[in-house]
Amino acid sequence: MRRVACGLAATWGAVLLAGCAGLGPTPAWELPPPPPAERPVVREGALQRSELANGVRVLVHEDHSLPLVSISLNLRRGAASERPGEEGLTSFTAELLERGAGDRDAVAFAESVDALGASFGAGAGWDSVGVSVRGLSRDFDTLLGLLADAALRPRFDPREAERARAETLAALERAKDDPATLAGWHLARAIYGEHRYGRPSGGDAEAVARLDAAAARAWHRRMFVPAAALISVTGDVEADEVAAALEAHFGAWAPGPVPEPGPPAPERTPEARTLVVVDRPDLGQARIAVGHDGLSRTDDTRIAASLMNSVLGGSGFSSRLMLSLRSEEGLTYGVGSGFGLRRAPGPFQVSTFTKVETARAALDLLLAELERMRSEPPSAEELGWARTLAVGRFARGLETAGDVTGSLVDLDLYGLPEDSLDTYRSRVRAIGEADVAAAARAVLHPERAAIVLVGPAEQLRPQLEGLGAIEVVTP
Amino acid sequence: MQMARRLAALLAVLSSLSAGALEDPAERARVTRFDNGLVVVTQEDATTPVVSFQMWVKVGSRDETDYTGLAHLFEHMMFNGSKNLGPDEHAQLINARGGAINAYTSRDFTVYFEDVTRESLPLVIDLEFERLTNLVIDEAALVKERKVVLEERSLRSEDQPRGRAYEALFSLLWQAHPYRRPVIGWRSDIEKTTVEVCRDFFDRFYTPSNIVIAVAGDFDAEEALAHLERSFGSLPPGPEISRYPTDEPEQRGERRATVRFDVRGPLLAAAWHAPPTGHPDAEALDVLSTILSDGRSSRLYKSLVRESEIALSAWGGYWEMLDAGTFLAFAAVRPGESVEAAEARFFEEIERLRLEPVGEAELDKAKRQLEVGMVSGLATAHAAAGRLGGDMAAFDRIRPLDERLSRMRSVSAEDVQRVAQTYLLRERRNVVHVVPPEETE
Repeated sequence: MRRVACGLAATWGAVLLAGCAGLGPTPAWELPPPPPAERPVVREGALQRSELANGVRVLVHEDHSLPLVSISLNLRRGAASERPGEEGLTSFTAELLERGAGDRDAVAFAESVDALGASFGAGAGWDSVGVSVRGLSRDFDTLLGLLADAALRPRFDPREAERARAETLAALERAKDDPATLAGWHLARAIYGEHRYGRPSGGDAEAVARLDAAAARAWHRRMFVPAAALISVTGDVEADEVAAALEAHFGAWAPGPVPEPGPPAPERTPEARTLVVVDRPDLGQARIAVGHDGLSRTDDTRIAASLMNSVLGGSGFSSRLMLSLRSEEGLTYGVGSGFGLRRAPGPFQVSTFTKVETARAALDLLLAELERMRSEPPSAEELGWARTLAVGRFARGLETAGDVTGSLVDLDLYGLPEDSLDTYRSRVRAIGEADVAAAARAVLHPERAAIVLVGPAEQLRPQLEGLGAIEVVTP
Repeated sequence: MQMARRLAALLAVLSSLSAGALEDPAERARVTRFDNGLVVVTQEDATTPVVSFQMWVKVGSRDETDYTGLAHLFEHMMFNGSKNLGPDEHAQLINARGGAINAYTSRDFTVYFEDVTRESLPLVIDLEFERLTNLVIDEAALVKERKVVLEERSLRSEDQPRGRAYEALFSLLWQAHPYRRPVIGWRSDIEKTTVEVCRDFFDRFYTPSNIVIAVAGDFDAEEALAHLERSFGSLPPGPEISRYPTDEPEQRGERRATVRFDVRGPLLAAAWHAPPTGHPDAEALDVLSTILSDGRSSRLYKSLVRESEIALSAWGGYWEMLDAGTFLAFAAVRPGESVEAAEARFFEEIERLRLEPVGEAELDKAKRQLEVGMVSGLATAHAAAGRLGGDMAAFDRIRPLDERLSRMRSVSAEDVQRVAQTYLLRERRNVVHVVPPEETE
């Protein structure tokens, strides 16, 4: 009651206000939210797009706030393009790029990067391979030279390939020590089976054991073609100087056909509930992962689905899953849901963890919330905050010029419209209750979801009775 | 020839990077001290669309006198509702604006933060003031939050080989000082903490003179200060806070522990005593850390990952805290490889630093890496507010970028060798192995 009195007083003036104890003027949470400040995503004139003669697309984003520059080369194909028997080849190829390139062997390459205080990275995702370097802008020419060497002139030294393979195999084995990683691997397997998505994007031990320098060299020849490439430069540079330097380093890059994007993903998978227990007898906490087929990065309903997912499990303390499992029951420290948005639809998945004794209770609540999202889709109020959340998170996620460039590169990889960032906020606001309800019905399938639990099978198995046939596997 | 050319190029680059070319954003920071002792530091920056609000409370696990984990458990209680707002409502209101909200507890500090867009800063200030003045600490909330924290403990420590390693290591390193305890606390303490204990903790440590508020990014500092003065400035000052009196006695002799856990890849963790934050040797220790750990040309990468292929990663680094520091070492050993062999290699590299001065090129490389790291750390509002809040909470002043850069640049090869000889002594090291149960010692 007192809050209301103070709130009214605030509208009548300062004299009455003095009589209000405590908070004084109406606290901000009782006032209607002010409209968010909407700045343009890119500062006027800061972004230049161009194309080299051989088809390499170029994006230069000037930002003179710090004396730094980031240079990235991204290609429009990734691990999803690997054929059976090649799993992990894209990541393996990326790893070899800095292990000797141009005039430098692996050690000399590392010395050159580190001497500049720079950082170099190369890696592969499902739909892209990226090489990037970041350092002081005054070193731009040297940094670009290192990047060009790694991207265009990797040595693929057989001894380095052996080292990289041994390291990857050891890392895959060691990753089994992490329950979350195990849950992710086994969930992917349970959902996608023999499809490429059924194995880790970096490959599994069986596939990686087959990789060598020759395979990486051949793969590099196929994947690294100008027509698939976007080079982005962000930081304290002048766009015209960058354009000339890029022409010098990448102008002679010989064209080739862009590889096929890989086969489509199964649309309805798994077809029936699948239960897997990964036996880790030493764990006191069970990892739970639930999932099934999801959406493509370019799906027209992805914003509606994303708003629905915010209400479900994508927004921390506001989401229904968090309220149910953590805030009301204290069963977990965290629970989240989300889509793996890829060119061919990736998974929808929910994951959490709870002490072994309460695994079934947590799983039941989790499945019930998925079901409830279908029968009770987001209310007007929930959709309201999901929209403002999306708009605010969008602004915050584009804080630095590098953030903006990263998002523009992502749009390019998927062939999405260049102005997507400019139109995002209005597209979010256009989503209505019917859209999110339809998304919930279309994308959530708890009745046929794959369910993976990592923990002591002896204690987990009896808890899962009545949910379906259980497969117990070792890590 | 190639080496000489590289060296010449490196020297040219280093000499051209002149000090003072970069404006320190903290030169624009303004420190305001309220009568009740609360410190506010603000730094406007219109180039970012984000404003970060951080409340640094000068209390951490070092201040716990009986129940370990209390500072962290209490941090959780700060999200469980207040007189005018229900449990989690604070976080939900920030979420609904697309803001980021969270908190963390360290051995020295508890930090609450919100990163939002500018129109939401008044909401943030009102919400932080509400929980500081009207927090509800009741049995129902505590019962639930204990369960949540125990799940967090399982996640981070009990089911996590790395967490197990650190708990064992700090218990060895510090035998007397409260830094020896895990920040998250021991399980039984979390289970037994009472409402009464939480309330006393709050009354004792959450007082204006024990708090620094840092705000950085896109906001109007005048408006924010007026708002903070009206709210936080009205709080009565708290009593003087007495701190835990125990200092760590000198370590005499190596200490070792083995943790048995179901791991495929064994872990090596080691620690030495090192000086507390703000010590003149800090920069030399940072340079030494970089030489050991930073990049694929670093000594540990070359020795343990590349040449011997015995580890997947290895690093050593200086970690500074208010009462004491430590030099930590860590190696993720490859499955099937011996942790003893990894340890021998690791300590060979430490010994090399003690016996031989590092070369000029290697020294310059490390300095450049540190310098680029410092500049990169200025990019976001959150990092800016963290720097302001952290410096004010620890030193009651903001250390200028130039001061840090010039101290780092003046580190010599002799300095690096001297700190290695002073701190990284065999008889003062503490070593933990995490190995599978079946492995015999």
